[in-house]
Amino acid sequence: MFDLLYKELRLAAHPSMYVFLCMGALLLVPAYPYGVVFFFGTLGIFQSLVYARETRDIYFTALLPVRRGDVVRGKLLLAAFAQLAQLAISLPFAFLRTLYLPEGNPVGIEANAAFYGFGLMIFGIFNLVFFTRFFKTAYKTSFSFLIALAPVTLGIFAMEAVIHFPGLGWLDGTSPEALLRQLPVLLAGAATYAACWALALRISVRRFEKVNL
Amino acid sequence: MNALKVEGLAKSYPGFTLEGVSFTLARGRIMGLIGKNGAGKTTVLKAVLGLVPADGGEIELLGRPRAGHELEWKQKLGVVLGGIDFYRGKRLSVITEVIRRFYRGWDERACRRYLDEFALDPRKKVEELSAGMRVKYLVALALSHGAELFVFDEPTSGLDPVSRDELLTIFRALTADGTRSILYSTHITSDLEKCADDITYIKDGRLLSSGEKSVFLRSFQHLQTAEDTGPLTLEDIMVRTERREFHV
Repeated sequence: MFDLLYKELRLAAHPSMYVFLCMGALLLVPAYPYGVVFFFGTLGIFQSLVYARETRDIYFTALLPVRRGDVVRGKLLLAAFAQLAQLAISLPFAFLRTLYLPEGNPVGIEANAAFYGFGLMIFGIFNLVFFTRFFKTAYKTSFSFLIALAPVTLGIFAMEAVIHFPGLGWLDGTSPEALLRQLPVLLAGAATYAACWALALRISVRRFEKVNL
Repeated sequence: MNALKVEGLAKSYPGFTLEGVSFTLARGRIMGLIGKNGAGKTTVLKAVLGLVPADGGEIELLGRPRAGHELEWKQKLGVVLGGIDFYRGKRLSVITEVIRRFYRGWDERACRRYLDEFALDPRKKVEELSAGMRVKYLVALALSHGAELFVFDEPTSGLDPVSRDELLTIFRALTADGTRSILYSTHITSDLEKCADDITYIKDGRLLSSGEKSVFLRSFQHLQTAEDTGPLTLEDIMVRTERREFHV
């Protein structure tokens, strides 16, 4: 599994993916719809799949001594690495804003535990839609991305809007009490992400088995 | 022991059917796979390699069926399929360093020796190599992990005569010790006259003939006409077998 991920990172990942990993720095912008950070996370994966198609990575990997399903596993490992790394890199910035921007984000949700929970859900749903669609053909990247963008956009809007609903203002808080109250959202996000990843792998492998390379 | 045995291979695409393709490649031999464009040569190679799922047929590599032995199989395969344009922007050293991790029998010293032998600079990027050098690079990689069956799809297409001759010399050297075999599709039949031991001819998705080269050539001499001054070459055989009339 490590070798697969290593191959993805050294040969298959598009250089722009590494730039998008750092987009968590946007959390230091005083007023910004932080959900856009998750959009950048999906963009890096999309670029890498386009790059993989151009460099015939999938074809080449299928000839290595790995199972056919490992071609899919490699791509989903890359996605998990990029998405989780992006969230991890953004954490210090989320912490810094509580110190230097305590007045909060006037245009949308704060970078708090609920934000990360919703982000994990968005990434999970993106993976499920994008990869299962892509591995039907192993070359239709743009169409798969457009289809996957619909739930991602919806998720980002919902996340930004939900804090304005009566009684849900606590989702926007950054106090220790608010963060504790948001913990179930974070856990639900992690569970959704893991379940979607596993399901995306299973469906994508099944579909990829039938693809003529 | 056979290097490769294909029995009743079948695959259908919309508008194309490959069926009943059977042939055997013995160890230490070079088999040329011929047929006109669209005959099904690449489909045969891809089905053998598992790149396209076959609809039917049995494939054995070194006496073992692919089902249940896929990973073992791939450890013994060296593959060069047409249009070698993977990872164009990457250096050979980077690609080699990544790929070696997947092979149990990787021999780093042998790899350096083969790169040296083929005058390949590991600091160069794939896009900086000529088509012939790219084939040599893949051959070097396959040799470094101890491949026993080499599958080439049009490896000499687009090469100048000198590079082609070099590659044919390498192919002969590969099989010289009797442990390695080559399955090789090409349009350049003169290359096969020089280096193939066996010929398999695919026509419209079906096996037309497969056998030792001299036997194969003899079996088509009935296509000779009164104007022919010598025995038919592979090219003559292909042209006369595929020739059709056009009414325009």
